[in-house]
This record gives sequence, structure tokens and C-alpha cells, in this order.
Amino acid sequence: MKRVLYCLFLVLLVSCAEEQNFDQFDDLSVVPTLATSIFYFESPEDIINQSPPGTFYIQTFTFEAFNEAFVSEGVLDGAITYQLENTTSKELSLLVEFLDETDTVLDSESFTVQPQPAPLLERQVAYGNADRSLDILRNTTRIRVTSENLGNNTSQSTANEPRIILRSSAVFRVRLQ
Amino acid sequence: MRKIRLVFLAILLSMGFISAQNKQLLYDFYETPQSLLLNPGVKTPYKWHAGIPVISGIAVQAGSSGITVNDLFANDGLNFTDKVRDRVVNGLSDRDEFGAGFQIDILNIGFRNANRPEDYYSFGMYGEFSVTQYWPKDLAILAFEGNANNLNRRFNLSDITAYSEGVNVFHFGINRKVSDKLRLGARGKIYSSIFNAKSTSNKGYFVTTQGENNILRNTLVADVQVQTSGLNEIEESEDSNTSIGSLLLGRAFFGGNLGLGFDVGFTYKINDRTFLTGSLLDVGFIHHTKDVKNFTLEGTASNEGIEIILPESFNDLNSDIWQNLVDDIEAQIPFETNSDSYVTLRPIKLNASIRYNFGEQNQKTEDCYCGTSVVDNDSPFDYKNAVGGHLYIINKPKGPQAALTAFYQKRIGNALAIKATYTADKFTYTNIGLGLNFQAGPVNFYILGDNLLGYQNIPDSHYASLQFGFNIISWNSN
Repeated sequence: MKRVLYCLFLVLLVSCAEEQNFDQFDDLSVVPTLATSIFYFESPEDIINQSPPGTFYIQTFTFEAFNEAFVSEGVLDGAITYQLENTTSKELSLLVEFLDETDTVLDSESFTVQPQPAPLLERQVAYGNADRSLDILRNTTRIRVTSENLGNNTSQSTANEPRIILRSSAVFRVRLQ
Repeated sequence: MRKIRLVFLAILLSMGFISAQNKQLLYDFYETPQSLLLNPGVKTPYKWHAGIPVISGIAVQAGSSGITVNDLFANDGLNFTDKVRDRVVNGLSDRDEFGAGFQIDILNIGFRNANRPEDYYSFGMYGEFSVTQYWPKDLAILAFEGNANNLNRRFNLSDITAYSEGVNVFHFGINRKVSDKLRLGARGKIYSSIFNAKSTSNKGYFVTTQGENNILRNTLVADVQVQTSGLNEIEESEDSNTSIGSLLLGRAFFGGNLGLGFDVGFTYKINDRTFLTGSLLDVGFIHHTKDVKNFTLEGTASNEGIEIILPESFNDLNSDIWQNLVDDIEAQIPFETNSDSYVTLRPIKLNASIRYNFGEQNQKTEDCYCGTSVVDNDSPFDYKNAVGGHLYIINKPKGPQAALTAFYQKRIGNALAIKATYTADKFTYTNIGLGLNFQAGPVNFYILGDNLLGYQNIPDSHYASLQFGFNIISWNSN
């Protein structure tokens, strides 16, 4: 009996704990890289031809993805990628503007693309660090897209289903912790 | 940020508790009347027993199948983020689990039928609380790495598996010695649920692929459900300063959601020294109809951002296309609540053991059926030393889990019984446990501790459990 109790106490006596440092949690860094498309614009050449030369489409739309709290508070850096594809017979320009709540233009990106056969135009715009300010994205609540025909409104491309296409996507590193 | 920290710490700390519910030290350790709760057909060498209310059986179990506190928080100078990435995010699998388990035997009484001494009746009430959380591996990777570098990878929503409940159990059992070789037992149970929350059998995924029109396409296919009962009123009582205690007490005594179940078990004497036992526990269900609040996320949605396609989009010049997009996604995958009743099945447990007795036996053990006190003859115990094996299987949300135990039992006089176990399961392969049962006159005290090697460095322990309790016992031979 005494031996059993001695063993029991021995177990309790030898129980110990290696030193723990729970403050390490403050050093935890959780920074996922998130990717999403932003907007897609497409117009066939016959629609462009139906409009007089000049601006054939302009629209301002709400875009609140960037100022979602977890993005605006945690975004570290990122880039927006644009791809422009023109298979029409005319020179075209596209303007993308980032606006805040008062419709003040915070940033803009302009593209001019030659008539078909024009190569795919791809452009990356970096934000954060030494590049454009992240505040542009944090404060953007609306995007304005303006499309302009710099050529005539009579020519027709020989390409199959000629059109202008603008694709865009964003990749950002966001600190969650 | 503080909330994230609290949640993270709570998860890590709760890793210390696991509701594996294996009680290999108590199983067939029939010096302790609580062994009847693990096998209603266990040997019952008592005239009667009465657990001392509330402290007749307290059990806390602790463990972690994939990681320990020490793995993360040891003061080892390693980069903490690297440790989390390597040992948690990439180290744990979706079958790793953590949780909390606690059981308290509130009332436990048993007595032998004077007119039919081969029957032993027992009844009582115990409370059981548990939380089980499986590691949501895919969602953790998504949170840690993001989707940008994981194109075409499906992040499975089935990794969301969690279960939590508090239940009060009322039980009545009959233990009958059918013959010299066979003893059978059965226990009926009424479950009085205090609260329940479960999210199991979820399906779906999130994936980012190359877009059809735009550069990227995000797709969410979701069939996710969280069912709860009893939590809504608890939350409301906090706001309205209503007594939570009386609310929970009322539910514990049939005021909540009710269920039925049963246990069955047996002990079979293969020969004078060899015994085979088995039990099936908690075959039952609870029907949740009161204070039910369920949350569902069900549907399919793909998104390539805002799309302006002329000439169709000329019609949208005066509409809010952002809000339309948000509305479309919410319509495709609505997040809804309902109060539909639901049924939860209790986690069925299977025990089986074989025991071989050896060494000098205390006294003669043959059965003579010549009176209440001699149901198991002069000595209430049939062994001096015993060795054996025990198999335990529990049905869990992600499939059955098994544990295999080898044990050695020894009786030292009439005052002390010892049981030592070695157990291998998904939590640890080095689980050595020790159980002590003390008898001082009619007073019985038992204490059972698991994974004693883990005490060398408690934060690095994968598993630990402790059970103890006090009973008053009148033995057959008394």
C-alpha cells in the first residue's frame, strides 16, 4: 500500500512543464494572397459603328470590394492586371477611373489600342510599397469606364465576331493577423 | 484582432480536451459501481451501492490527436508563424480533432432484488458536456495562403465538422446473472438536452479557376448547415438578465429537448479464469424541437466580377450593377435561418474485453444460488491478478474511432485494487494509465489517471484523463 502511494506521489512530483511562451502569438503573421476578377467589358464592332465617332459608352458603377473592412484595414500591397483585346478595325481608347464617395478621381488607367491585328495588351498596376498609394484602393467606392472610338464608324473588321474586350483582375496580400 | 487572438487561443487550449470518451481504466473494474455505466452486464458484487451525490463520478478527459500546446508555444526560439504553418496548417489533417469533455455523475444508486437475488438494479442521473471540432484543414489553408496561388484547388467545405452538446441523462438498468457463465445487462436512458449545436455532413467547395470571359472565376458550391437548439434562449437570457442557472436546470430536468436510448452488455465466463465482456452504449437519439435555430448556406454561384457586355448592358445604365451582382450571389447561395426540428443520434460506443485471471484467488468463487449474499459467493471478487485486452470503438462524425488497450489488474487485500493499462489510439501510442480503487469499510474511493508519461511535460502531452469518485458500498459478502 505504501509503495503504491509512493509511486503515485512520485508521478505527481515528476510532473513538470517545459517553459511556454504564449506571447509568441503576437508574432503570428497570417497574410493570404487573394485574387479576384474586377470587371469585364465587351463591345462588338457593330455596336461601336452604331454610335457616332467619340465616346460610345460611359458608365459609373459602385464597386465596394476594396473598402470592405478586412481588405481596407489589412491590405499590404497588390496589383491590378488589365488585358485589352481589340479585333475591330478601328483604334479605340478605354479609360478606367477610380472614384471616391464624392466622385473625386483617385486614380485612372488609360489604354489606347490599335486596330486589328493588334496584339493582346496586358498591363499590371502595382499598389503599395513604392508604387501607387493603397489609399486609392481603400477609398474607392465607384469605378467609371469610358470607351471611345478614335476611328470611323463605318469600317468592319474581317475578324470573326470583331469586338473590344477589357478584362481586369486584382491580386492582393491582406494581413488577417 | 483581439477576437482572432481569443478564438485562436481558445482553439489551442481546447485542444487539451478531447471527448474521446474512452474509459478503459474503469471498464470491467467492477470494484467501482460506475463500471455499470460502461457495461450494464458487468459483474456486480454488491448488495447495494450509493454514490455520494455529485462526487460519485467526475471525469475530465484531455488530449489532442495532431498537436500539443508545446509544439507551438515552447520557448524554442523558432519563428512562430513557421511553426503554425508547418505544424498546424500543413501538419494537421482534416481528421485531426480537438474538443472538450466532462461528465459528472450526479446520482448513482443500485440495489439487489431481495426476492430475485440474481438481479441487480441501478439508476441515477449524470450530466455530460462535450465539444468536438475537427480541424478545418482546407479553410485554414485558404485563410493562411489565400486563393491566388491555389488556382484550380478545391477548398472543401466538408472540412467544417463540429459538434457540441450538454445533456442530462436519467437511467435505469437491470443486471441479471442468467447462469453461472453468463451475465446480461440493459439500461434504459432518457436524455434531457440542455443545448446542442452541430454542423456535420457538410458538402461543397470554393475554387478559383481561369475565367470564361474574365481573367479569374471564383466558384462557391455550398451545402452547409449549422443546427442548434437551446442556444438562442441562453443568448437572450444574457440580454434580459434572466437567470441562466434556472433555465439550464429546467432543461436538465425534462424541460428541454428529450430523447431515448439504451445500453446493453454482457459478461461471459469462458472458463474459471477467463471472462469475455462486451457492451454497446448510447444507442439512442434526441429529438430537438424547442428553441431550435438552424443556419443554412446552400446553392452554387460563380463570379467573374462585374460584367458589362454591350448591347445588353445599355439597359443597365441607370441601375446599380454592383448591388445587382451582390443580390444575384445572395440569391444563388442564400444564407438563411429556420427553426425546423431535427434529430441527433447519440455517439454509439462499443466495448469488448477479455480478461484472464491468475494467481491465488481470494476465496472460492463457485456460484451456488443459495441466497442474496452468495450470488457471487463468499468473495465478491474473482481474481487476484488479471491481464487482458480491451477494444473500444466510438462512432464519430467522420467515422468510427478505435482504441486498443492491454491491462493488468491486481487486488491487494480487501482494501486496494490496482489497474494498469497501455492504450494505443489516434491520440497517442504511449498511453499508460493507472487506476486505484480504495475500500475503507463501506466507503469506496477510486481515482483513475491516463497517459501518465505525459506528466513529464504536460504541455507536450497528447492525451490525459482523470476520473474519481466516492461511493458507499455494501458487498455481497458483507
